[in-house]
Amino acid sequence: MNRINVSISDMKYSTKSEDVLVTHSLGSCVGLAAYDPQTRVGGLIHCLLPQLRGNSGKDVQNPYMYVTSGVPVLIRTLLTKGAKRNRLILKAAGGGHMMTSNRLFDVGKQNSDILRRLLAHNHMSLKAEDFGGTLPRTIYFYLDTGRVVVKSLGKEWEL
Amino acid sequence: MSQRAEVLARVREIPQMPAAVQQVMTLLQDEEADMGAISRVIELDPGLTANLLRAVNSSYFGGMRSISSVREAIVRLGANRVFHLAVSWGVAPHVRPAIRGYDLETGELLRHSLAVALASEGLAKSLMPSPPPNIFTAGLLVNVGKIILGTFLAVNPAPILELAYEQGLTFEEAEERVLGVGHAEVGAVLLEHWGLPDDIVEVVRYRLHPERAREGGVILDLVHVGDVLAKLSGIGLGVDGMAYRLDDACVQRLHLTEDHIAGVLETLPGNVEELMSIFME
Repeated sequence: MNRINVSISDMKYSTKSEDVLVTHSLGSCVGLAAYDPQTRVGGLIHCLLPQLRGNSGKDVQNPYMYVTSGVPVLIRTLLTKGAKRNRLILKAAGGGHMMTSNRLFDVGKQNSDILRRLLAHNHMSLKAEDFGGTLPRTIYFYLDTGRVVVKSLGKEWEL
Repeated sequence: MSQRAEVLARVREIPQMPAAVQQVMTLLQDEEADMGAISRVIELDPGLTANLLRAVNSSYFGGMRSISSVREAIVRLGANRVFHLAVSWGVAPHVRPAIRGYDLETGELLRHSLAVALASEGLAKSLMPSPPPNIFTAGLLVNVGKIILGTFLAVNPAPILELAYEQGLTFEEAEERVLGVGHAEVGAVLLEHWGLPDDIVEVVRYRLHPERAREGGVILDLVHVGDVLAKLSGIGLGVDGMAYRLDDACVQRLHLTEDHIAGVLETLPGNVEELMSIFME
């Protein structure tokens, strides 16, 4: 097993079956794993925010920071590595929240909502998801089988 | 002895900060102390000197010109910033190790603490022309009580978590029910024991419950929200995760918008990683 770390606002892909892509620190961020079981090409992205704010006057410096800019790059990258769009299996986790109903701070829900909308717009959907709650999450994505495991508070479950 | 009294008694057994850090703290709090005396104390401690020079030359704290003397570094950073960096280095060795009771690997509590410090200061910078000087240190220290509960007392977090999830309590409220005291109060008692200024101790005591503070003030509001943003970012999250409540009154008093929140979150991971290299050694 060769472990590859995906940090916050980062994306890694692999075509090697011995690789495991891992991302820690999923608070309100979302992690999305995409896998083509036929070619065994897969990638994992860790997005911090839903999208670049329209009025910020800034350019996107790092596309992986935002769901709306990062996820398309992840999918395009996998297609250039031999994946087929209609075979891609998508699984996501994260989007946690604090104990508050203040909309300004519900970054987690904004992240998961925009991810679902973006995928629907492109006629894609999540095969499995684990969003919300106040728990921190770590994703392990095994390239040999496409298995996606979420770990939190000493427990783990498969998506 | 009650469990609360036992926990608080153990706090006073924690060793004091290194002598050089204590001397620098004392000198920098004395308005009459001269720059030469402060420089000499720092220069006699190779670790403090190296850290100060690395900080002043980092892109987060520093400027364009490279600086190689302690005296110049103090002039560039200002006595306040040097005071707060010295405190941080005094505390860093305690914050670096793994904190088993909170399921934090080596360096993760330091990483989370830096995230709170930088988010609080980043928020302040976006809201006011000159941020309060002690905000970075106050933010850095808010989780210090976890060291005592999670390491010295090796508290088992399972019953605390269970109670929090079952009854919809915050992690701190569940700590108070199970142990008789939460990590915020334990942290405040430790910092009093270490002789830190009252304004910092009070922020550490009340950052999770700003409404309990007699005199709140803008620093408490900023660190309360900075702590929330650090948790949302996920940086160095432990077993307590995001099981804390946001105080809407702080958000209203600070007039926060989506731009303030996203602006802080966008720069947070990069700034944390830069400072980790200064504080990990």
